[in-house]
Amino acid sequence: MEKKAARNFFIWGTVICSAVFIWLTIDTHSTIPKRTNTDKLTDEVVMGKRVWHKYNCNDCHTILGIGAYYAPDMTKVYSSRGDTWLKQFLKNPDSPDPHRRKMPNQKLTDDEINKLIAFLKWVDAIDTNQWPPKPITVAKITGAPLEETAQILKGKNVYNQNRCDLCHRIGGQGGVIGPDLSHIGAKRDTSWLAQLIKNPKSINPVTQMPAYPQLSEDEVQALVSFLAGLK
Amino acid sequence: MTYESQKVAIKYFVISAVFFGLQVILGLLLAAKYVWPDPLIGLLPFNTARAIHTNLLVVWLLFGFMGGAYYIVPEESGTELYSTKLANLQFWLLLIGGLVAVIGFLFGWTAGRPLLELPVELKWAIVVIALIFIFNIFMTMIRTKKWTAIQGMLLGGIVMLAVMWLFGIPFFKNLTLDYYYWWWVVHLWVEGAFELIAAAIMAFVLLKLTGVERQVIEKWLYIEVGLVLITGIIGTGHHYYWIGTPEYWLWWGGIFSAMEPLPILFMVFDTLNHVRHRKLEVKNRLALYWAVGCAIFHFIGAGVWGVIHTLPQVNRWTHGTQVTTSHGHMAFFGAYAMLVLTIVYFALPRLKGLEQFNQKKGFWAFWITTTSMMVMGLAFGAAGLIQSYFQRGLGIDFLTVQGFMRPWIIGVFYTGIAFLIGTLVYVLDVIGLATKESS
Repeated sequence: MEKKAARNFFIWGTVICSAVFIWLTIDTHSTIPKRTNTDKLTDEVVMGKRVWHKYNCNDCHTILGIGAYYAPDMTKVYSSRGDTWLKQFLKNPDSPDPHRRKMPNQKLTDDEINKLIAFLKWVDAIDTNQWPPKPITVAKITGAPLEETAQILKGKNVYNQNRCDLCHRIGGQGGVIGPDLSHIGAKRDTSWLAQLIKNPKSINPVTQMPAYPQLSEDEVQALVSFLAGLK
Repeated sequence: MTYESQKVAIKYFVISAVFFGLQVILGLLLAAKYVWPDPLIGLLPFNTARAIHTNLLVVWLLFGFMGGAYYIVPEESGTELYSTKLANLQFWLLLIGGLVAVIGFLFGWTAGRPLLELPVELKWAIVVIALIFIFNIFMTMIRTKKWTAIQGMLLGGIVMLAVMWLFGIPFFKNLTLDYYYWWWVVHLWVEGAFELIAAAIMAFVLLKLTGVERQVIEKWLYIEVGLVLITGIIGTGHHYYWIGTPEYWLWWGGIFSAMEPLPILFMVFDTLNHVRHRKLEVKNRLALYWAVGCAIFHFIGAGVWGVIHTLPQVNRWTHGTQVTTSHGHMAFFGAYAMLVLTIVYFALPRLKGLEQFNQKKGFWAFWITTTSMMVMGLAFGAAGLIQSYFQRGLGIDFLTVQGFMRPWIIGVFYTGIAFLIGTLVYVLDVIGLATKESS
């Protein structure tokens, strides 16, 4: 190939590919309203996005898989954690375990937290071509009953609000310091669980688990019903 | 060196080297945060440290490219620079801008978008600096009697760099569109504008080092850069698989980016070919080592590492894991860090009028940095495979899997120390050469 032919190849190749790329971009724009539910992109969501930027969340977390890899991906965090857990966590992300990677407390106001959660809720519904993928092994990872009664739901909230998952895990989600609770209902009865939660040392004097005197009797019972259902 | 005004490049090279050193120190801190959570969390939390780490990289590469351009353009155009004063002014503006950005990050002044964290005011300041630079380069080039492909490619790359930057400035309400245009900066810089600049600089260095005819070198320049853009522009699609954009991008992105290693492979062959058919005795063996090493590492880091996780079927599992970190480190080092070091080791001795110079430190830096980066890249890659398998494949909790990856990240930390030593040898060598009395 002569130099002139090479130059033409360079110029025309670039021009044609740029044109195709711009055409694809225009077409992509036409699909955005449906794929990202722009009708639900409210001012609150946009303000939530500004909170997301203000605290530079994206330089630890990924979202849509983009960002830093120091902390979990936020794409589907709304559907996997839910409103209550997120509120609680964003208020106080400090971990009781000094050896664990921790998120610094950003000291968000309640207003900022609500907006941020609205943003995460909107992101959760973006059509991402099924990313992140479902794990290959869909083993029975938790024995949670399919129907959740009000009592069980309340117990789940107690579990989330007190952030039991920092040490314990259910169905692979949670910490590794305490025992796995995925099938705890099959192993322990309700009175044993209630006793342990109120006073862990009365069952195992050397346990690292702290007592939870702040829980009301009602809350303990709800938590126990939730745990007893994990079979 | 033929023209007095080329000397302006020296200070660009020195600051480029110093910022390179700082970047690596920040990188070590980031690795330490993975291994022993969490040193310096109060002063430099991970997000701030990462913003500084990545922005320093961009700034030191820019200092290197600009210094390189100020060296190359007068020689290619056969004239003094249009304005040495503007080149000096632009140097100070960029330096002050860079420092203000870093200090701003420490105090939480950020736009909060990864890699484009610069606040909007500083982004516009960068536009001004870029305009001064382009103006100075352009005004020098139009004095030329004969336009060369190297000049054209360099100018095209610089203009593309500035134009794509504009897409990173606005605030986007929609996260999907935000990332759509975010990649117009990030991807079309590294797989577009940067490649043009790098190819032009490399063509110039090879031309001068080997004495191969300009016709041959420039013909290959056109073919390679043509292929880079043909595959790279639509190849942006490999970032549009999972961000809310249509499914057809899996086809467009997958097919075009599968071809992306091709031009890089050509670069390796034609670099080696030029060296084999050299017409001159190569006195500056060090620059030659960096040039050939750059071609090879570019191919491994950007080409091979890029293509293996660019296929949608693979990317589905590896997207957003340490596999990306592995690719990012090796590609940036191979394609651009080594390119800047090539032009610095080529141009700096000439600028100081040194026929011969002691190349020992430069060779130490070469072997230490290339070896440790290779090992570091592999360690990141191993961590990424573990993460892809356990977290994505088996659905195990994020932090639990981070524990499985720890031994490899410890490996990253220790190879990082080795890399830092290599970098410091380089920084000291550059400062030594730059402050040497001209003979």
